[in-house]
Amino acid sequence: MDLAIYDLKIHKWRFIATIIGVCLLFAVVLSFNGIYRGFLLEGLSFIKTTNPDLWVVERDRGGPINEQSILPEFYHYNVAAIAGVAQASPLIYYPVERKIMGKKRRFAIVGYDVFGGLGGPQDIVAGHGIDQAHYEMVAHQKLGVKVGEMVRLGLHTYRVVGLTSQGSDVDGEPLVYLSLPDAQEVLFQRDNEEIRNQRERLWQNLTRSVGLSKSEADKYLARLLPDTHLINAVVVKLAPGADVGAVSRQIQKWLYLSVYTTDQQINLMLQGRLAKPKAQTVLFRIILFIVSMVIISLVIYTFTMEKIRSIAVMKLIGAPNWVIIRMVLEESLLLTCSSFLFGLILISNTYQLFPRRVILLPGDHVTTFLIALLGAILASGLGLRQALKTEPALALGGH
Amino acid sequence: MEVLRIEGLSKVFGSGRLEVRALEEINLSVSAGDLVALLGPSGSGKTTLLLCTSLILDPTAGKIVFDSQTIFQKNGWSGGVDIRRLRREKMGFIFQSHNLIPFLNARQNVLFPLSLVGTKGESADNRVMELLEYMEITERADYLPALLSGGEQQRVAIARALANNPRLILADEPTASLDTVRGKKVMELLKKIAKENQSAVIVVTHDVRMIEGFDHVYQLKDGRLNLG
Repeated sequence: MDLAIYDLKIHKWRFIATIIGVCLLFAVVLSFNGIYRGFLLEGLSFIKTTNPDLWVVERDRGGPINEQSILPEFYHYNVAAIAGVAQASPLIYYPVERKIMGKKRRFAIVGYDVFGGLGGPQDIVAGHGIDQAHYEMVAHQKLGVKVGEMVRLGLHTYRVVGLTSQGSDVDGEPLVYLSLPDAQEVLFQRDNEEIRNQRERLWQNLTRSVGLSKSEADKYLARLLPDTHLINAVVVKLAPGADVGAVSRQIQKWLYLSVYTTDQQINLMLQGRLAKPKAQTVLFRIILFIVSMVIISLVIYTFTMEKIRSIAVMKLIGAPNWVIIRMVLEESLLLTCSSFLFGLILISNTYQLFPRRVILLPGDHVTTFLIALLGAILASGLGLRQALKTEPALALGGH
Repeated sequence: MEVLRIEGLSKVFGSGRLEVRALEEINLSVSAGDLVALLGPSGSGKTTLLLCTSLILDPTAGKIVFDSQTIFQKNGWSGGVDIRRLRREKMGFIFQSHNLIPFLNARQNVLFPLSLVGTKGESADNRVMELLEYMEITERADYLPALLSGGEQQRVAIARALANNPRLILADEPTASLDTVRGKKVMELLKKIAKENQSAVIVVTHDVRMIEGFDHVYQLKDGRLNLG
């Protein structure tokens, strides 16, 4: 005889209202599982998409994603000369906010050697890769541009020649691939007016303060203007059989640069830029879960307390403890399972609406469900304790 | 045949200056088919005696023999006796406030004690219908207790108490929440049950108008039991 079902039938509206409340909490817990997964995927996406054997960055910097790193462009020639290096390519990675088609958009610019260099787009779903040295771009489809469209960036206009589906920057924003010189121009080239002002300022300094003649000042001026031939990292492909450790040590020793493998880059991110948001997400999931369990516990306690006289009657007429334990536990498990199921249905139908990527994994659902079941059993402890403590004598006497 | 024998039963609550002697040297014997009334004013020990007889409360001293089995003697409850099992298989309870399980309908309330002893399926359903017919409440079988009148609830409660053909029925003020006419009807039913089912019935009441036709009437006063 299923007492829990009969009891819940009588209190069905209250039970449904409770399920709605707890289901929303479970939906948030499940969404946070997905947000956590999405956040890690996006945070490491560029590293994993690029995936070279080595990342060479400015000395003692954890760049180019976890921390800023700036190197002169020609360093990739030096790296390429190290024994064991099959290919070394310059790479720029830079998050920016610019107007695209009249709307402000955040995205990351990736500049790479378009003529066979490493670090270019991996999965082109429309159009083709960059073929020309200038004024072509490949964008992630999330940017919302189409193949053939013209996009103004800085001083120039770029034609979208391809769309990619892979990779995003740490904040989940789309990637835009440009040729290295184009990326340098977009990122480091300043406004024409500012260049003219700086040139005039320098020229005046050279002629007035340093005392150079006008022709000598003109000669030095070009050398003194800021260099825009900068990159953020050199990405390296090792020769077959080359020892990663040995090549890294050579680069560090002779070129005074820092070197990371892709796994080390991932660890830098996990222990650096992603560490606190990751901890915060985990903590928030735990708090939400505890709140859900406390609510279930209180609901079951209230349900049990309302039946305390009936429980006393059951005990008096000889019901064994397992009958009462089963009733309380079944109510708790029914509440938890129904809430979880509806929470799962809800989040599975709404996760696409989240502004950042939410990745729902069956493994996460199963783990959360098992923890929820365990939680439900623990949550019913309070009600069970009260039920088992109830004296059958309570059934005797008046109201 | 003797169903219940109580010898020299005492119950003391508290100790020292706070000591309350609720029952003193109670002796009582009830046979199958006996209808016994326990009368007494509030605080006389009626409920305490009922609790000890129901095997819920530990007596301080004395002996309880139920269905030819010694359940309690001075050293405590007899080892190997499953008291809850005895209650569900051999005792029936009728309460002052009916105490039907509110989320079960009349039929399910009667079915509940049957399910506790493993009676299932058609035999359980037949027994339930038989009892509801006996109590003349078949047409209200699918009603929840909240939708039944006080008298109807008490009839369902009696049907529930009879479900497992108990050797002993303990009724605690079964007419207290009913008007005189309905109360008398319930008492008539209990008399009928005692005679037809050969169950021993002990009724605790403080209403002397209700004990007409009882086989034995006892008076409880200050914890002592006297033949009324």
